Amino acid sequence: MRKLSRRQRLSAMVLAAVAVCFITLDLGGGALRDAHTGVRGALGSLYRGTDAAVGPARRWIEGVPSAGTNEATIEQLRGDNARLRGRIAQLEADRRTAAQLAALQHGAVTSRHRLLPARVVAFGPGQGFDWTVTVDVGTGDGVHVGQTVTDGAGLVGRVLHADAATSVVLLAADPGSGVGVRDLRTGEIGVASGQGTAGFAFSPLDPAATVQVGDQLATGPNGATSYVAGILVGTVRSVHRSADGTVRATVQPTAAPTAVDLVGIVVAVDGSGLAVRAGR
Amino acid sequence: MTRARVTAALTGMVTALLIQAGVVAPVTAPWPVSLPLVLVAAVALVDGPGAGMSLGFAVGLVADLGSPHPAGVLALCWLGVGLVCGMVADRRSLRRDALAAGSVCAVGSALATLLLAVVHGGALATDAVVYLLPTVLGDTLLALGVLAVVRRMLRTDSLRAPHAGYTELVVAGGRG
Repeated sequence: MRKLSRRQRLSAMVLAAVAVCFITLDLGGGALRDAHTGVRGALGSLYRGTDAAVGPARRWIEGVPSAGTNEATIEQLRGDNARLRGRIAQLEADRRTAAQLAALQHGAVTSRHRLLPARVVAFGPGQGFDWTVTVDVGTGDGVHVGQTVTDGAGLVGRVLHADAATSVVLLAADPGSGVGVRDLRTGEIGVASGQGTAGFAFSPLDPAATVQVGDQLATGPNGATSYVAGILVGTVRSVHRSADGTVRATVQPTAAPTAVDLVGIVVAVDGSGLAVRAGR
Repeated sequence: MTRARVTAALTGMVTALLIQAGVVAPVTAPWPVSLPLVLVAAVALVDGPGAGMSLGFAVGLVADLGSPHPAGVLALCWLGVGLVCGMVADRRSLRRDALAAGSVCAVGSALATLLLAVVHGGALATDAVVYLLPTVLGDTLLALGVLAVVRRMLRTDSLRAPHAGYTELVVAGGRG
């Protein structure tokens, strides 16, 4: 094993101390907010600029598993060479995109929301999945911080930061997030806490509330959540009642947090008088 | 530190962050596989702990500032990865070094996840354990490719470390 020189040890200690100072400053009062904004804006522009090259590669890789589930496509793929297989996978991605667009339009019509379609151009720049995604629309398209994001079927998250041409969306399943929800069967309200890939944990405000497997949860009620009300969050998968009578349910999310691609940002809600509020 | 090395470091950092956000993170989610971190480990394995921790701190800080969590978390963990990889470098076997890079990166990512869970709440502490082995696999596979490229680049005349002879002597002395 290589030994560290005295200078290297000193440098490591200084850098570690600086990093701890940054953490303290950022936690304390958002002293680095402008630095966050600047770097997010610069990276957002780069994501959008390089999505023409990087996006097809990502969608091709993501499309490979689903392409294998289509029997007709499999038969066609067997007779083709590698280049043609790549093109077919790209077509499959386009078909999914068309289906997602149709779902978005359907959701917009039935829920009286005016949706701005947006495509995910990047995930977190750090390590793995950071529970945020960057989309290719920004303030120039009418996006503002706090607006709700859906995939047409369920809740995806809300806008955390918006630049001129890109926006960062905090996913609802983020382990630090909570969503005000209503049980559509009983009308009971409660909080669905993000649990990452496990979905949500639902705790009704009334400890005596009856929660059953299969109950659907939607954002709400009006005025009590930072999200637009009435968007499906997920379905109750299991219910646990603790010794003190507290009910806690695990919830399967309607919109898979790790598979978002085409989303809609709720830029206005028709007829209900709901305003889009800023959050976090 | 020559101008060519600084330019190469900046280019490598931006490229790794873009590919991470555009391809690696969506494809490997929810595993915390990280191309920028593997790049840090690869540079440390070739050029030693000094270059590794400097690059780790810089890349981690940019990734922090581009993320919703507090700045400094990834910078702190990634400088540690650069330091450890620089110290455990074998340099004779690409596969052994890639495995070392994958293992150290996965542990570094797990520590970052734990730190995020403690200071920010934006991660689950259990994820640090659950995703450890898949992350070792993913980071090692990435390291096999990245390390080969980094080795080749950092051995060219324009990008070679200015004081490589000194670090080689320390390595030899340490093996005794």
